[in-house]
Amino acid sequence: MNATTISSSDLSGLAADLLAARVRVAGPARASDGTVEYRHAGAPAELVLDSGVPRRSLKEFFLPPTEPLFAWRTGAGGRVELLEAPLPADPAVVIGARPCDAAGIEALDKVMGWDYRDEPWFARREATTIVSLACAGFDRSCMCTSVGLAPDTTKGSDLLLVPIGGGAFRAEVVTAKGARLVAAYPARFRPASGEAEAEAFRKAAREKVAASAPPAADPLRPWLDAHFDHPLWREASLRCHGCGACAAVCPTCHCFDIVDEPETVGTGVRRRNWDTCQTPRFTIHASGHNPKNDQPARIRQRVLHKIVIYPKKFGEMLCTGCGRCSRACPGGMDLPEVLARIAALAGGAQ
Amino acid sequence: MNVYQPFTVRVAEVTDETADTRTLKLEFTDPAVAERFDFRAGQFGEYSVFGAGECTFCIASPPTRKGYIECSFKSVGKVTKAMRELNVGDVMGFRGPYGNHFPLPSLYGKSVVFVAGGIGLAPVRCVIWNVLDLRDKFKDVTIVYGARTVADLVYKRELEEWGKRPDVKLWTTVDPGGETPDWKGKVGFVPAIVEQAAPSARDAVAVVCGPPIMIKFTLPVLKKLGFTDDRIYTTLENRMKCGIGKCGRCNIGHVYVCKDGPVFTAAEMAALPPEF
Repeated sequence: MNATTISSSDLSGLAADLLAARVRVAGPARASDGTVEYRHAGAPAELVLDSGVPRRSLKEFFLPPTEPLFAWRTGAGGRVELLEAPLPADPAVVIGARPCDAAGIEALDKVMGWDYRDEPWFARREATTIVSLACAGFDRSCMCTSVGLAPDTTKGSDLLLVPIGGGAFRAEVVTAKGARLVAAYPARFRPASGEAEAEAFRKAAREKVAASAPPAADPLRPWLDAHFDHPLWREASLRCHGCGACAAVCPTCHCFDIVDEPETVGTGVRRRNWDTCQTPRFTIHASGHNPKNDQPARIRQRVLHKIVIYPKKFGEMLCTGCGRCSRACPGGMDLPEVLARIAALAGGAQ
Repeated sequence: MNVYQPFTVRVAEVTDETADTRTLKLEFTDPAVAERFDFRAGQFGEYSVFGAGECTFCIASPPTRKGYIECSFKSVGKVTKAMRELNVGDVMGFRGPYGNHFPLPSLYGKSVVFVAGGIGLAPVRCVIWNVLDLRDKFKDVTIVYGARTVADLVYKRELEEWGKRPDVKLWTTVDPGGETPDWKGKVGFVPAIVEQAAPSARDAVAVVCGPPIMIKFTLPVLKKLGFTDDRIYTTLENRMKCGIGKCGRCNIGHVYVCKDGPVFTAAEMAALPPEF
């Protein structure tokens, strides 16, 4: 893997260069209430890289909470004209993405691209370069090591920055897109250094996360397949308000709704909006029959979609272990705890 | 044009099937689309009224009849109520065809038994006409169709037409209490009438669609008649939005009904988690 080095001041300088070149720059930044979110930055100083895990994931930059699919306009004689929504193609660079968030974006490429290609998603994917910052491990909700990832995973990143002390980062080039970014701004990068420091940082971070993370999720699949109906889901559901906060903050929850918004008589926009499998309306049939009729069934769907359904269908986990669902849940649902419970049950069953 | 943008179609004909069920015949506004549009029996689409939204329905007309598609629906929610407001000449949207289909060419030379309940006849009707339009490629054709009451039977003119054909064995039935004084069909639940009709399972497949309760009690009857799970087909009607394997709502285990279905054999259904 190609590597190079960049100092904190050059990283700010890179952001400034990009903004000057009219490239959109985004990264962790403070919202008006002080919380850190991924935001578009107007100036390099807005980026705060040492801030833990941003409140929401990176997915909204690729799958916005709401986006127009097309507009319609009714003309004379009942003629209907459909106006395509322009594909989002503004070049953008995300600086300081958490590796778990970048990994989530790559995982979603599978569902967005099988057979039918979701053009708005891929237009944003192609226009965006992701520069991730290796994580030091954040809190006990972190569980990337349980889902086959690590705080320094390169999955989904174009460039991975690893702190090497003295305010500098070793920058590992992951993709051709990452290489193009380095090549476009050569003055901001120095020859590679700090390999040992980077390795020490990565090792410490992995150990920190692994120390509190639940057992690996992969081996739980056979037990989950064999125990579709289990009191576990009812127990878990007692904490669930069905609010969908978990899905909103999740880097990989991608379920959506398609709705029409009339604007004036005869005109309007069809939009795609985020949705969540945690509400009864998500699956209810017109007849009133609902295949996922209670909260236990809906929680089971969310957990199984992450660690059984998506891996079976697309060959990879749909959870990156970011821990946000546990942090956001008003009922105190804790995914690491649920996985630990399943592991205990599976262990007992063997 | 992104994958969520529909074709525009014009309402060419409106037929009331029952008090709340209606069939729309739809023609593509763009002659080039009409020319190239093709589908297979069992596929579905996303139908929309601009301003009300999209809804998922099977294509109820057969692929053997070109230049138009038909959609049969019951007025239940926002979109279907808006669809009911449409008149001949009005324009709506259609995306599709989506999903898998009945393996028709591989059934050439076989007998086909159709079992349907209520508006479940819509997807089955597509296959029935497909088979009847290629009648010499199939052996016996048996249709068992039932509804709660006489007033709930859909496609009444076609039932009459099929009943008159010497090459179709048609059994119509209504639930006990649903008959009228002049009702000439059977009275009884669909599974019981299938048992009475007793179609031969020799070189035959069954296509079953209707309310879950009807399917549940029909499968054992078909098995008793000798139909194995791999020769019984049904079509699932899960709630959908995208129709193309993205939005997540039609999952049954790792199966996306919109892409891996909607047509499944009873054997395939038996392998799914009990969640449909």
